Amino acid sequence: MVLKKASAIASNPNTAPAVRGLQEWLTLLDSQDTDERRLAARALGEYSVATPALLNALAREKSIRVKGAILVSLQCIGGHRVLEGLLPFLRSENAALRNGVIEILQGMPEEIGEYIKDLLHDHDSDVRIFAIDILQTLAHPDSPNWLIDVILHDKHINVVATAIDRLTEIGTPEMLPAISAVKARFPGEPYIEFVVNLAVKRLTEE
Amino acid sequence: MKKILIVDDATTVRMYHRQLMESIGYQVEEAGNGLEALERINQESFDLLLVDINMPKMDGYTFIEEVRKTPDVRATPAIMISTEETEQDQDKAYAAGANFYLVKPVRIEALQTYAELLTGGVQ
Repeated sequence: MVLKKASAIASNPNTAPAVRGLQEWLTLLDSQDTDERRLAARALGEYSVATPALLNALAREKSIRVKGAILVSLQCIGGHRVLEGLLPFLRSENAALRNGVIEILQGMPEEIGEYIKDLLHDHDSDVRIFAIDILQTLAHPDSPNWLIDVILHDKHINVVATAIDRLTEIGTPEMLPAISAVKARFPGEPYIEFVVNLAVKRLTEE
Repeated sequence: MKKILIVDDATTVRMYHRQLMESIGYQVEEAGNGLEALERINQESFDLLLVDINMPKMDGYTFIEEVRKTPDVRATPAIMISTEETEQDQDKAYAAGANFYLVKPVRIEALQTYAELLTGGVQ
């Protein structure tokens, strides 16, 4: 495990208080007091070594404010360990937590790219929709191709409609045949009719 | 004319639901998340709320819970409309205070039936 502050500690003779601080914050993360847990969660954003503790706390925490503080700290720490720790929360029953995690993942474009393809093929259609939500702000060069693959092959109407919706923003006129072809995959479905017509109109206007 | 607030972060979904509701005679307003919707309902009254679950800033469950706690607007009927299909999702919606739960994509017939039931008709 690498302490994020390692370089600062190495060059600073007063390293002991910082290390003690870490231990104290970790202890306070389990406090009965909500304010103490929130303060600890915020302070631990300085320490990458606190990632597992923050992820465990996120799973059990009841307070919305503390959860928010934990997510901010995990965002500050960043990296693959945080990302891999956050992905299971996309399956959480807690909508607020799920949405908070999606917002954090949207802010990790470099790390999330390699995981998106798997998420877009997840067995759970809601997770596939969340993956498309993550793509909403992810400026990844492969995004259009991933979404075309979804609209051509995914069987779930809401996943396909969400992907078309996203393509209206990042798609190009060359994608119009693929988008138009979706109507044939869901014949007589007014929602798909509406979403496809809107996408075609927007991409043609551009 | 009865007024409906559509609460959904997806613009296309809002446009689709707006088209459906306007076609049966309702006046429609929109909000992109629960927080924005809370501000709207404290400024003007609505006859019905159509609410998505997964939204940034404030999710649909929390929004409806907040509505039910707010004296002046707590009685506003709400239909939750989501991609989530399990019985557990529906139970959570009803526990939060939703009057009905519909799975996307909604059929206009179902939406019309529930909307009229909750608003007493278009006029």
